[in-house]
Amino acid sequence: MKPLNQLTISSARALLDAGDISSRELTEECLKQIQSLDGALHAFVGTYPEDALASADRADSRLADSAPLGPLDGIPLGIKDNMLLQGKPCSAGSKILYNHIAAYDSTAVRKLTDGGAVILGRTNMDEFAMGSSTERSAFGPTKHPRDPERVPGGSSGGSAAAVAADLCLGALGSDTGGSIRQPASLCGVVGLKPTYGRVSRYGLMAMASSLDQIGPLTKTVDDAALLFAAIQGSDPRDQTTSDHEPFVPVDKPSLKGLRIGLPRQAHGEGVEARVREQIDAAVEVMRESGAEIVDIELPYMDEALAVYYVLMPCEVSANLARFDGMRYGLRKAALPIFDTYAQSRAQGFGLEVKRRILLGTFALSSGYIDAYYLRAKKVQTLIRRAYEKALGEVDMIVTPTAPNTAFRFGEKLNDPLAMYLEDVFTVSINVAGLPAVSIPCQTDGGMPVGIQFIGRWFDEAGILEAAKALETKLTERS
Amino acid sequence: MRLSVSDVAHLAQLSRLDLSQDELAHMTEEFASILGYVDRIQQVDVTGVEPFAMPDRKDGWRPDEASEIDDATRELILSNFPERAGDLLAAPGVFQTPKK
Repeated sequence: MKPLNQLTISSARALLDAGDISSRELTEECLKQIQSLDGALHAFVGTYPEDALASADRADSRLADSAPLGPLDGIPLGIKDNMLLQGKPCSAGSKILYNHIAAYDSTAVRKLTDGGAVILGRTNMDEFAMGSSTERSAFGPTKHPRDPERVPGGSSGGSAAAVAADLCLGALGSDTGGSIRQPASLCGVVGLKPTYGRVSRYGLMAMASSLDQIGPLTKTVDDAALLFAAIQGSDPRDQTTSDHEPFVPVDKPSLKGLRIGLPRQAHGEGVEARVREQIDAAVEVMRESGAEIVDIELPYMDEALAVYYVLMPCEVSANLARFDGMRYGLRKAALPIFDTYAQSRAQGFGLEVKRRILLGTFALSSGYIDAYYLRAKKVQTLIRRAYEKALGEVDMIVTPTAPNTAFRFGEKLNDPLAMYLEDVFTVSINVAGLPAVSIPCQTDGGMPVGIQFIGRWFDEAGILEAAKALETKLTERS
Repeated sequence: MRLSVSDVAHLAQLSRLDLSQDELAHMTEEFASILGYVDRIQQVDVTGVEPFAMPDRKDGWRPDEASEIDDATRELILSNFPERAGDLLAAPGVFQTPKK
């Protein structure tokens, strides 16, 4: 048998239920892997070995009574450092929360623990989820598991690296403009951003409340479906959650007869040659499997990034106003009280966070709000309409997840705009509130390339079905 | 759209961020390229288009009732206070001025 930390959630579940392995053994293997690799990798900013083993033991006694709580009982997972777990530190990768302890559970994590999942620790991220490389964590970057000179992507870089390096069997991330999908793409794992409203944001440190969504990073599409099913659902504590019928995974995934739209922008300049090759090859596999590939024009795709970089900073400037040195976190006491606010924030926040707060403050300020915030909201309406129309003509849309493979540390750090362009294929999905999943599509053993499936609102079943069908075909070929 | 250093200083004031002159200068430069990019939304024809807004939930209201929390949660909240006076949050006085 392979090392237990290399198992998928589904295969671990089968072995646990059969009594072939214990949750304790599984958890110990993950903790051992963390111990040997994570000093260098830095995927986790904190681990809870005692609590994890205690959870594992409780899971094992339930298994002994043949009474597991559900599919995740005894499964070791990681959670991003912006999701509250009561009693544990939670810092959103920021110095301003360096000593903050979560006072309550986030709904998503609570659903995991209620289901018996073993939480190994919290994973590294770009500060307040602002970034695409995890270089902006106040606690040091995470390295790409395959190349220590390259970034794992971001902002859920820690979660992606942890899953890719088999430090855990799966992890939760959050995605506002691509922060689950892009690191999944760069690290070669599966990353799903559900439809806005599918997963409660209660207890998720808010970045942009109308765009944020929690989702799974896993080794396989089946695992992503499993983890998503566990965390989805309407929550009275988060009024932006939807009452839509719950997601149910499709049993017989097939690409046959699916109309899949391929936007011409996917082949645009700025897409790395390797990405273009691997995506083309994957599209060919889909064609051979019976999918109809349709060339489509996605209007406003060029404007979507601009809309995102107006709307998101606006919401950020409001959401981060609470970090003022008063009730929690870093306080730099000064008089008058205005200086306590201003110095605590100046000292506690990194450069990118300050940049986005200022941008948002500008776009919401008197005299500019009409030209920026309101105008962006109107273009958002046009973007949503464009997707609605396109997804009426095809069943789903496929693009590269990121325009490049994992880049080197420092490569994009000094050019904010270059970093923002990393998200060119992912941000419009958040602006439209659609679901999207990234799966690895490279078949040559080289640096990972992610292919993204974008579906209609609430059609996670459709995109996961197509992704799984492709995953199966690609596994056969590699 | 091009902002001046004093424009950015004003934004810093509004958002309670104490930035040095160097940081302000640097930020102003970066703003030029970022705003240069986002300004493309000015080119889009938005005649007759409504700003996007989520529809209101029909059951969006709940009774305004206080709920009790358990001691563990209370203690976690209180222990996060940067400065604590018993069960109270200690903070600089709102009207307090620095001693001359």
